[in-house]
Amino acid sequence: MTWKIPFVAVVLALLLPAAAGAQGAALRFEKAIYVDEKEVALRAPEGVACSEGGALVVADTGNARLLLFSWKDGVLDGGQPLKLPQLAHPTRLQLDRKGDLLVLDRKARKIGRVGVDRAFAGWLEVSGVGDTTAVVPGSFKLDAADNVYLVDLAARRVLVLDPGGKVTREIPLPADGEFTDLDVDATGKIFVVDAAHATIYAAEKGAGAFQPITKPMKDRMSFPAYLAVGRGRIFLVDQNGMGIVTLGIDGAFQGRELSLGSNDGNLLYPGQICLGAEGDLFVADRQNNRVQVFAMKR
Amino acid sequence: MRRVVLPVLLLALAARPAWASPNHKLRPGANGAVCLECHGDFEEKLKKASVHTPVKSRDCVGCHNPHASNHGKLLAAAQKEICATCHDVVPKGARSVHKPVAEQQCAGCHDPHASANKFNLVKPAAELCGSCHKGVVDGAAKARFKHKPVAQGCSTCHEPHASAKGGALLKADVPGLCVNCHKTETPIFLKQHVSYPVGKSRCTSCHDPHGSNARGMLKDRVHPPVAKGMCTMCHEPPGSPNRFKTRQVGAALCKGCHGQKMSQIQARSRIHQPVAEGSCLACHTPHASSKPGLVKGNMVVVCGECHADTIRRQEVSPTKHQPVKDGDCAACHDPHSSDASLMFQNPSRIELCAKCHEWQKHSTHPIGDTRKDPRNKNLTLDCLSCHRAHGTEYPHMMPYTKTSDLCTKCHENLKR
Repeated sequence: MTWKIPFVAVVLALLLPAAAGAQGAALRFEKAIYVDEKEVALRAPEGVACSEGGALVVADTGNARLLLFSWKDGVLDGGQPLKLPQLAHPTRLQLDRKGDLLVLDRKARKIGRVGVDRAFAGWLEVSGVGDTTAVVPGSFKLDAADNVYLVDLAARRVLVLDPGGKVTREIPLPADGEFTDLDVDATGKIFVVDAAHATIYAAEKGAGAFQPITKPMKDRMSFPAYLAVGRGRIFLVDQNGMGIVTLGIDGAFQGRELSLGSNDGNLLYPGQICLGAEGDLFVADRQNNRVQVFAMKR
Repeated sequence: MRRVVLPVLLLALAARPAWASPNHKLRPGANGAVCLECHGDFEEKLKKASVHTPVKSRDCVGCHNPHASNHGKLLAAAQKEICATCHDVVPKGARSVHKPVAEQQCAGCHDPHASANKFNLVKPAAELCGSCHKGVVDGAAKARFKHKPVAQGCSTCHEPHASAKGGALLKADVPGLCVNCHKTETPIFLKQHVSYPVGKSRCTSCHDPHGSNARGMLKDRVHPPVAKGMCTMCHEPPGSPNRFKTRQVGAALCKGCHGQKMSQIQARSRIHQPVAEGSCLACHTPHASSKPGLVKGNMVVVCGECHADTIRRQEVSPTKHQPVKDGDCAACHDPHSSDASLMFQNPSRIELCAKCHEWQKHSTHPIGDTRKDPRNKNLTLDCLSCHRAHGTEYPHMMPYTKTSDLCTKCHENLKR
């Protein structure tokens, strides 16, 4: 008789975390970043990148600059501005293993590299496909080996480049849809989001085509324009619905958090997100002219 | 034996309906003619040209219960269902169904008793169709180049209830419907189409079947190369094996003439994704359109293909924003590119809104660059601080149920 109670407790202990996981990331507001180190206000920031080492870079798009912060043990530091004439329209960012910064400039329609000395180190030159001048990157991400995954809008495909820019793989995007972002997980599985139909597609490492892993989810979100994969979840930024949606890595809906507004914790046309080393979610809260930091349930 | 016969007789008596009882013997004509003793106004209706068959045969109880009913007008079934008890007007596998039919609103078009019009229509056919499809009927009436079947009546080409053979209630698909009258192999047809064999193409991609003001009944806005018969500007020559193939793919072809416009588009920092993809035909039609700029349809529909969520907001909103209602998305957004956020036509949202709401610049809640938003120190107050331009589920395009919920987001001291 007495064994029944520990048994139930064990079963509950096993089930509860899974059940909790299925409820979403349980975001808790931690901080809003409004200004740089000199108290200059952010303006329409569209991009954020974070590293395992605690670096946090913001694309302060409306001010045509980058901002360099650090986020360690829940403390924000820095905020040095970095203004590079070649990257006057920074919109999406990634940090590589060395600490180099890759920046998609919306007007140049190219990806620029910024070295650890924070000087412009040239454009990422795509090679190994027919007409490289015709490549129009819409978004990009890096994997753990610094390979570059980019959505090429002009040819409706995903290109995988080695760190030097040579194309190693090319996967056509599905014929129907507006593909606004992508990410790659630790296994090399690539995820893309069709914002128009709120559908996620994935391609396993080595696969030649994308397959849908969700049905159209328009009933759950408006226009998921940004995507990030990590911590066993898919995070979607519902740009027009002003929220963050979490899915399981298999595409199963888990939850929807945050809402429209301008108070701390609310969103207004959010942009890029990144997942920090300490389990934080950074959101470029574009139309609210700020970046917000949310703690996630472990 | 007697034990068996008696119960059978008793059962037989009990099973007799009330009307068969000697005490409830119906008067002759009780199924309808008697009704007219009280409903005398029906005498006039019965003189009309088209009388519903049960009415004509004085069978009022075909639709009405003479004693009591759970439905209005003592109908024997719900108003939406009663017609279907006799009339099955939707064919199996229908590809299109008329909205009033789908909504079972038969009385919207038919008088259930009698009418001066054929098929008991509540108005003459053309006038009736025009009460919903005003734009089409008025446009057809004013068109310089008219399509003969339109004058003969909408039902020449369309089924009134549902069609199993075509979309838009058409009696057959295009071009099958059109080639019933227009012979595509004749020399004149080929000459009119610059020797391109378009007999199997979709006629309505260039022509307006309801009439138009352009020669050849092309839609009102014709792409100049089409109007001039210069198809080879974009397509391989008609004698070529790939005659319908375009000379270049996507935007590269359009750039030949629209290079300057495309340079202007590229010079701005935000490019609309279909433009960046070089998919001009995502929004435009290459031959002819009834919409300005050769947009392939009403902008609410065209933009709604990707931005369905935004269009949906307006649909559920009790307050409609006029440009969205008019299908004029370009009143506020540049559909190609913009330097302003959200592809706005003007970087200042106040100036943008003031294009129509001019008084808001001088007679409103304080707004402008010097008015800080108490909710967020990096924001100043503008129109979108309180309103969502595509609507919300609440009045005045506000994002909260009550106005006080909105106001107290900033005026916290007034919270109760």
